[in-house]
Amino acid sequence: MNPKALLQLDRVIHEKGRLAIMSMLAASVELSFTELRDTLEMTDGNVTTHIRTLQEAGYVSVAKSYPRGRRLTTVSLTAAGRSAFAEYVSLLERIIHQARAK
Amino acid sequence: MEQDAAAEHLQVIRTLMERTALYRRTLAPVMLFIGAAGTLAGIGGAALGIDSARAFGAWWLAAALVAVAGAFVIARRQSVRDGEPFWSPPALRVTQAVLPPLAAGFLFSLATLAAGGPVRWLFVLPNAFFYGCAVHAAGFFMPRGMKLFGWLIIAISGAAGLGLRFVDTPSGFLVDHAFMTAVFGLLHVAYGVYLYVTEARKSTA
Repeated sequence: MNPKALLQLDRVIHEKGRLAIMSMLAASVELSFTELRDTLEMTDGNVTTHIRTLQEAGYVSVAKSYPRGRRLTTVSLTAAGRSAFAEYVSLLERIIHQARAK
Repeated sequence: MEQDAAAEHLQVIRTLMERTALYRRTLAPVMLFIGAAGTLAGIGGAALGIDSARAFGAWWLAAALVAVAGAFVIARRQSVRDGEPFWSPPALRVTQAVLPPLAAGFLFSLATLAAGGPVRWLFVLPNAFFYGCAVHAAGFFMPRGMKLFGWLIIAISGAAGLGLRFVDTPSGFLVDHAFMTAVFGLLHVAYGVYLYVTEARKSTA
């Protein structure tokens, strides 16, 4: 493995806010925009920006619905997003494992 | 150090994934409602002189129905207010966890209705015990000491069962109503007040 292994990490996921969003989505089928915003204590603008970046990378999909006349925005991981997240976690584990093996 | 940064990232991921799996609706109003329903059912049952096994079973089953329906309405109102789906994955997990023990308690209740007494052994203690198991199971997907609350109910029902074996306890339905009121009413009110106070403190922190 490259000695600078952290540099190999997916830069889209590696950003703190996006990593938090990906982690939450990885533990759930889908989450609402408000749930993400409130749990992560981010502003609407921050969440929107991060989700747009993840969406452009093909890692998340966004769905809008109108139950009882209220807008509900839900976000979920795509297959590519789930795979990229698994690879990201796997690389972190390999970094730790390699350091312990030395 | 790269491995420190990697370990820190993994810890963040683990914490967030665990938090996401938790059911986070405000529990205080639900507990207060269940407690109020249980207390009123106990007082009402004693005042109305419900003193046959079948009437006792039917009365407390009706009270349970009211409590469950009320809790459902409160949780649903919270999800509508927050603009979130009611059947979120954590809500499904909680429901799946509580169903088997609640079903077991319900079967004992049906047996009481079908066969009549003995209410204390067939209805009161099994329902308290299985309800405690259900609360404990829900605690795996809920924060705020839910598992401890489940253990407390299990311990109380176990201690009451042992007490019946070794200590002379007064017979009669008044004692059974009092026990049900204590477990399903007052205990829930106390836990609801605790949750309300600590949740208010947390939100102002």
